[in-house]
Amino acid sequence: MNFLSLFVRNLVHGPYTDPFPFAPAPTAARFRGKVAFDPETCEACRKCERACPTGAIRFERTPEGMTFDCWHDTCVFCGNCAFHCPTGAIHQTADWHLAHLQADKYLQVEHGLIPAIVCSSCGGKGLDSAPAIGKIKPPLSPEETQELRSLCPKCRAKYLKDRRQRA
Amino acid sequence: MSTQVAVILSVLLFPGGLFALTLGLALKGVDRRVAARLQGRVGPPLTQPFIDLVKLAFKRTMVPTTACEPVFLGAPLVGVVSMLAAAALVPISGLYTPEPILGNLLVVLYLLVIPGIVLMVAGSSSSSPYGAIGFSREMVLMLAYEGPIVLVAAAVALRVGMAEGHVATFSLVEIVAYQRTHSIFLLDPVMWPALGAFCLFFPANLGIVPFDIPEAETEVLEGPVLEYSGPALGLFKVMSALKAVVVLGLGIALFAPLGLSGAPALLGWLAEIAVLMVLGVTAVRLSAGRMRIDQAFSFFFKWPLLLSAASVAAIALV
Amino acid sequence: MTILQKFKDIAVRSPWIYRINAGSCNGCDVEMATTALIPRYDVERLGCQYCGSPRHADIVLISGPLTRHVVDAARRVFDEIPDPKVTVAVGVCPISGGIFRESYAVLAPIDDYFPIDVNVPGCPPRPQAIIEGIAQAIQVWRQRL
Repeated sequence: MNFLSLFVRNLVHGPYTDPFPFAPAPTAARFRGKVAFDPETCEACRKCERACPTGAIRFERTPEGMTFDCWHDTCVFCGNCAFHCPTGAIHQTADWHLAHLQADKYLQVEHGLIPAIVCSSCGGKGLDSAPAIGKIKPPLSPEETQELRSLCPKCRAKYLKDRRQRA
Repeated sequence: MSTQVAVILSVLLFPGGLFALTLGLALKGVDRRVAARLQGRVGPPLTQPFIDLVKLAFKRTMVPTTACEPVFLGAPLVGVVSMLAAAALVPISGLYTPEPILGNLLVVLYLLVIPGIVLMVAGSSSSSPYGAIGFSREMVLMLAYEGPIVLVAAAVALRVGMAEGHVATFSLVEIVAYQRTHSIFLLDPVMWPALGAFCLFFPANLGIVPFDIPEAETEVLEGPVLEYSGPALGLFKVMSALKAVVVLGLGIALFAPLGLSGAPALLGWLAEIAVLMVLGVTAVRLSAGRMRIDQAFSFFFKWPLLLSAASVAAIALV
Repeated sequence: MTILQKFKDIAVRSPWIYRINAGSCNGCDVEMATTALIPRYDVERLGCQYCGSPRHADIVLISGPLTRHVVDAARRVFDEIPDPKVTVAVGVCPISGGIFRESYAVLAPIDDYFPIDVNVPGCPPRPQAIIEGIAQAIQVWRQRL
């Protein structure tokens, strides 16, 4: 007679159904949804591209700079890219509203551009990417970071070597 | 002439045809809604069965290349027509008395066999293996439940007939009239075993859990109606809606016709049929698991047969 | 607005759903079953009903990256579904191949073989996302009726 008490309990309590299509659904704060990319803080190390198990992330060199593309339709939301990102430029939002019509299939892309620059020191090609600050001691000041951003990779290495020697 | 018009109206409008169809679909809606509530869900709107029918009218009917097309498409029509006729045969106490020309209890029992046969024909003509399984199961189940229902009918007929001085009365009108003047059979201890047998019979006839073995959706994917789509599937939905009204109405006429007349009679009858649907169909189908076909077969040859036979014996001896 | 259009508006409130597993890992299938069966998501209140037979279906949910072995069977089952029908690809596998992309054993993306109308990416998508996808499929279905 267990089911009878269950019936009575369900009738007294009322439906347990979420009002979802007619009201927003509850989403956990750390829900692993759509990938978001911030070109400002990316250092263009391309670790995420290598860590991505499905090949959803792709970097490409263009005359305008380095482009970043993450195709949500092949991303499996594993979070490896965010885990391996040294600067937190790539992270997962709690947005899961991904259903779309077939016509929009190839528009489901997170796009970012790290602009190309001309090195302010040597005039060579460079990228306006965040400097790799992981092992640098003492930490860079904002002015030094700004200066580093305007240099090409070779000049950056030179700048940091000089800075170490100064220290 | 007026008799013919009355008969045609009773088959097409009230209580057969339009009325029975609307009632049957509404009952199905109530069933689904109450089932959802008992399971802690919101459930579909009460009009969902009507919406389903409208939807099915827009779909295409596909006929398997290996199926026998006239039989495949004709079977549901025969089922619907038989149930329309049967709905006109069941009296509503104080409201509707079928024309004697239409037939009596025995004709209703014959007509109630036809949907089962239609399912068998549909299953076998669709040339689908699932349909064939459904066909054989439907046949076995029908063999099992037809015996008890005949004995239930015999018990009721004997009870009325012997009280009125002849052997047996198979006229549903007289059965209802007898219960209106005397007490209803629901309160008659001699009839209780027969009532029990009827309560076991109608889930099997309506094809609901625990006796939905031929149509078992999770096993044989709705068996006989597996290959049907579009309007033809809609006809099966119509048939089962009508059948629910006929079987439940028959149960009310046999065991508990109310002593009212006019509009209260209609309301009382509707209330009775709704209660029977919720208690006898919804609650049962949610709380039971499906039997195996051999279990159902031996079950029907044990309990309902025993109960109805006990009733017949008690009436004959008393 | 004609009577026919009114009836069509009524008809779209009864989408019956059929699932095809085209070599899925069962993750998406579990989410679909969850959507169907758990009182919390109750799709029946939207008129949806999961059906066992492809002949009764209106909306087809396909999951899985379409493995080489399953393609003929999936194709055959798909053809059994009467028109008008709408196809929804559930999970990233049918849409692009996801984790199985460029494997020799799968034929993803599935839209080379089936006319897909709505995509619901996710690995697996959450039940609410599937309901959202079905809602979009109903819009497509309304135009096809």
